[in-house]
Amino acid sequence: MAEAIQKIHTIRAEMVANVLSISVSVGELVTIGQTVLLLDSMKMEIPVLSEVSGKVIEIAVSPGEIIQEGDPLIMIEEQGK
Amino acid sequence: MSTEQLSEKYLGVVGMSGMSVRQGDTAIAHGSGDVPVLATPQVIALAESATIAALLESMEQGETSVGIRVEFDHVSTASIGAEVRAIATCTKVENNRLTFEIEVHEQERLIARGLVIRAVVDRVSFLAKAAAQSLSHQ
Repeated sequence: MAEAIQKIHTIRAEMVANVLSISVSVGELVTIGQTVLLLDSMKMEIPVLSEVSGKVIEIAVSPGEIIQEGDPLIMIEEQGK
Repeated sequence: MSTEQLSEKYLGVVGMSGMSVRQGDTAIAHGSGDVPVLATPQVIALAESATIAALLESMEQGETSVGIRVEFDHVSTASIGAEVRAIATCTKVENNRLTFEIEVHEQERLIARGLVIRAVVDRVSFLAKAAAQSLSHQ
């Protein structure tokens, strides 16, 4: 019998930044293009948008934290398109 | 002096420098922008100052160091009145070149991050060469 395969999508930092705020919480459903984080980088406030629709299963950073390029930020369990 | 000897002296040395951001430190004052926030050239000067502090104890008489390369991400702004500090750590020694990793913070917030590479040189030879170049321009 076929089992449903969960696809986990990780949003990663594209640049070094300060985490200003987190706009979602674990368990919340998000849609493509929804702002999930606000970063302070390149001397601007930069929103990080979800690249998939699904459920937030982990938030790997907290406000005030300094993140490096490539760091995982938020894990989302993708849901059907 | 060999790379091994230089590594023994300089690898891991740490220096700090700090400043309060004033009008004269802004991008407007430096001519590097038109906004009244800490100028990128000033951030780099602060970082270089931290590298000098790191070397202060270890430099021998007759030696000096000169900046030869910088690579920086200027991540966030610092306004007039902000207290900013730079920490430089020597993380690599290759021939006479010392690589420093730099972080600049205002309290916990990251303002800038980057690398400064300095070359250790003989002070007298360096100044003699600079003087010779200066004479050739006259």
